[in-house]
Amino acid sequence: MKVIEIKSLKKSFDEKKVLEDISMTVYHGDIYGFLGPNGSGKTTTLRILLGVLYPDGGKVAVLNMDPSLDGEQLRQRVNVLPESHGFYGWMRAEEYLRFFGQLYGLQLTSADCRMRLDQVGLDPADRRPIRTFSRGMKQRLGIARSLLNDPEILFLDEPTNGLDPKGRREIHDLLLKFNREKEMTIIISTHILDDVERLCNRIAILHNSKIQYEGPLFAPVVGKSIRYRLHLADGKNIPTTWNVPGISCQEKKGQWVTCEIKNIHPDKALSLLVQKEIPITEAIQVNSGLESMYLNFTAQGKE
Amino acid sequence: MRHFKTLVGKECIEEIISSRGAALYIVGCGVLSVFSLLLVSNTELSLLDNAQAVYMMSAIIIALALLIAVIRGSDGFAGERERETLETLLITPVSPNEVAIAKLMALIFSWLVLFLLSIPYLWAVGSTGQNLIPALEYLFISGTLLVVIFGGFTLALSARMKTLKGTLSIGLAAFLLSGSPILLGPSLRQSTVGRFGDLINPFANALNMLDSVVVDSLGVLFQIIPLAILVSYAIAAIWVLSMATKRVEL
Repeated sequence: MKVIEIKSLKKSFDEKKVLEDISMTVYHGDIYGFLGPNGSGKTTTLRILLGVLYPDGGKVAVLNMDPSLDGEQLRQRVNVLPESHGFYGWMRAEEYLRFFGQLYGLQLTSADCRMRLDQVGLDPADRRPIRTFSRGMKQRLGIARSLLNDPEILFLDEPTNGLDPKGRREIHDLLLKFNREKEMTIIISTHILDDVERLCNRIAILHNSKIQYEGPLFAPVVGKSIRYRLHLADGKNIPTTWNVPGISCQEKKGQWVTCEIKNIHPDKALSLLVQKEIPITEAIQVNSGLESMYLNFTAQGKE
Repeated sequence: MRHFKTLVGKECIEEIISSRGAALYIVGCGVLSVFSLLLVSNTELSLLDNAQAVYMMSAIIIALALLIAVIRGSDGFAGERERETLETLLITPVSPNEVAIAKLMALIFSWLVLFLLSIPYLWAVGSTGQNLIPALEYLFISGTLLVVIFGGFTLALSARMKTLKGTLSIGLAAFLLSGSPILLGPSLRQSTVGRFGDLINPFANALNMLDSVVVDSLGVLFQIIPLAILVSYAIAAIWVLSMATKRVEL
């Protein structure tokens, strides 16, 4: 089911064309990576999708609504973590969540707020004003705010900016959990390709005001092998020969197994493994070539 | 308007808690202290008629209220845009209109705080006179209307302009322009141009109304025209604000 559909979107600022004939589609349950160099129009596109910026031409539908006309209704069902999410520095984290909760029609109790702060790795007992928070703490609070209304679509602009590797990993896990358990569609605009590799199933690369590529993160190439790292719930008793055509195990370390997939679509290969009751909890593509793909698409023409 | 209470609450708390808000009140109290001290202790000023002293003090309070309304109104959208908090607010299901009206209410709240703070000063200079109570009544009415007028227009400007500096410059210029007829002196104000300027200037209308109530002790019937002019301006300011904030782009 399509949750976002953009057709021939155009937007200019002072006669400078920022978006030119952009078309893209996001499906329910996707974790969609939106990539592109600085100033390529990613944030402009996100703002148009939210109805806080108005397009010059083209058609935009988000959850079957036109953001320019039904912005308020739409924003009740989606949420955003903007890149530059300014905070009211005088508020405390709990007050901040309660204030924004009220804007979504939620009456959050102190326990609710504490649970949400704990969920993103913030200390619920921290009573300091937000202005004293570190960048990483603010990022976590921003994520807690963006999850307040259990959005059907979550837009994230550089979500792991300012987070240490452990923090990034925790946020990845949280997003994957929401995507799996609540079938939340997530759109990530980022420069951090590792985030995309770890989270996204589909991507779009925006450059020179146009979409240069839109499709699966790793378009399988016939005859070319793809390496995956699989995390298994119980790594000890799992044999490394699985007798699944096209899949061969390379290495086993603790609960992680590295395998090579060839001549078969990775999705199909993974579902075959699941059918064989191999307890896969996570699958990460290794050395995907996303970086070279990204550089290839963004190298064309002027910046 | 379902988010109105939440937004007004946040704006009013910010008005008191934020260092910018508190600084304006402290400066305001400082100015009022200096003027009231001068009015009661300066050899020449203390000879003024009691009603005249109350009128002068009321004019200073109104000027302060307008200055605060212009500064805070300019900050309303442009300041939040610069501090990057506007985006976080507008990506929620609130409409820019709701935000604008909440900010206008906070300006009125700010005026009420200043009005309450100014009562002891007015009492200090006018407690022995006869028109202190009417002065307070008309100060409250005209001050509220002027804050709606100046605050409304500067908020509208703030929603449309990208920078706080630009909005503040225009707002302060408008404030000085509206105060200029008062600086012209009595003879120039009596000329045709001066009279016309007074008629269309909301600030001058408010001061004339206070003058006629406090100094000339005239009744409510004489205040209908200036009041009508102020109310018309206030309605126009609210309309302009609602039009300017129908769509606020980031």
